[in-house]
Amino acid sequence: MIEVKNVTKRFGKKTVLKGISFTAEKGEITCLIGINGVGKTTIMKAIMALTPIDSGDILIDGEKIRKETYEKITFIPDAITMLPSMKISDAFTFMADFYGGWNQLRANELLQFFRLNEGDRISELSKGNTAKVNLLLGLSMDVDYILMDEPFSGIDIFSREQITEVFTSHLIEDRGVIITTHEINDIEHLIDKAVLIDNGVVIKEFNTEEVRENEGKSVVDVMREVYKG
Amino acid sequence: MNRFLKLVNFEFNRFLKLYLVLIGMTILLQMIGVILESRHYLSQVNQSIYKELMPKQQFLEQFGTFSFSNIAHSFWFMGPIALCIAALVIYVFFIWYRDWFGKNTFIYRLFMLPTSRLNVYMAKATVIFLCILGLVAVQLLLFPLENRIVKWMIPNEFLSVLSLNGITNIDYLTILYPSSFLEFILYYGGGMIAVFMVFTAILFERSFRIKGIIYGILYCAFSLFIFLAPLLVNTFLLKNYFYPLELFFMEIVTGLIVLAGAIWTGHYLLKNKVRV
Repeated sequence: MIEVKNVTKRFGKKTVLKGISFTAEKGEITCLIGINGVGKTTIMKAIMALTPIDSGDILIDGEKIRKETYEKITFIPDAITMLPSMKISDAFTFMADFYGGWNQLRANELLQFFRLNEGDRISELSKGNTAKVNLLLGLSMDVDYILMDEPFSGIDIFSREQITEVFTSHLIEDRGVIITTHEINDIEHLIDKAVLIDNGVVIKEFNTEEVRENEGKSVVDVMREVYKG
Repeated sequence: MNRFLKLVNFEFNRFLKLYLVLIGMTILLQMIGVILESRHYLSQVNQSIYKELMPKQQFLEQFGTFSFSNIAHSFWFMGPIALCIAALVIYVFFIWYRDWFGKNTFIYRLFMLPTSRLNVYMAKATVIFLCILGLVAVQLLLFPLENRIVKWMIPNEFLSVLSLNGITNIDYLTILYPSSFLEFILYYGGGMIAVFMVFTAILFERSFRIKGIIYGILYCAFSLFIFLAPLLVNTFLLKNYFYPLELFFMEIVTGLIVLAGAIWTGHYLLKNKVRV
């Protein structure tokens, strides 16, 4: 379980996170929802210790992040984090060199699924294919948790369908996923838990299945209530 | 340790192209320099002795013999050395900033490796050090080759032959090729301490951005003060009380303190303060 407890974060005089708390379970897809600039990316960076927080705690399976934790959790930022000069195969070598949990079989499987070519240079890929490689590098790790920041931004509809397909496949199963998006429609039916964020705090955290069954509301319905009501 | 060496290898490969260009440029420009300087001298010889019929003895008195020193002080020779130094100084900064800037922010990846972030820091420093030694070694190999060309081109009676030892004793080259191990430690150790200091200053900037520049400058000033403290105390308070060797060892101690401070501070910033 990933626990974010009362996290605050300031950028200069502006407080971006004002005591954010939520949890994300293993085996569930948790979606952070909020308008742009609300601090979703900051939360993910904070979980990965890529940016310091001013107060609060973030625990991964009850522990603070250590260097070993990076074998257990991976972050797929909204832009690819490999050198543009690398070929896809070079990126694979890099990952295999540094991560014990790199799963080359899965990488090959995804390469086929996304119809990518191992010999292509990252700098020469289209936007959609770059996003797919980025996703591939994260998904091919044998980790318990995956954080994805806006995996659908700037991607054409067919690539988007391919990516959503991944979510329902064995590639995601049993893992804990935290995802941010502002295009909730594409993945509404996939997510288990929604965390609505506004103004630096969590305004609602709910199980989508329960709300759908008990109140007959979709995630978008709840969002409408919360943000407009 | 294993991941550290992989990081060193990885970082080195990222610099390799530029590095080979530097080496190639040094070889090319220095060879051109050797030939041009030699021919220039020879044309002087021809002009004076064969056209103006100056006696050889008088020519040698007036223009002197030709030696490697003529070449070592030419633009063609010093230019590439200065360029290599400048390139490495710039790369001390670029080796960090290239990971933050550009289309793909590779620093995310580096900071999410399942290894201590200090390894990233040390790997970058190691690459800088290896590159310095590499260039110095290439130059050392170039000397005999260049010397050979000089011997081919200049007739014996106009040439003062310098040995390799003689060449490395030409004024500014003694800094690159110190004659004792202690001096080597002093120059290269001092240089590496400066690299670590700059690294940590860069991390101050990367942690606190604009405010970080000020912290970085203050940190460097403080480190320099510590490093130079024995010299300052000896000069201004004790009126040259210590022997040079005593001062030397005190400098080594303060140097190690500054080095440890740089690495510890860098480690702290990487672990707790740095932002991507």
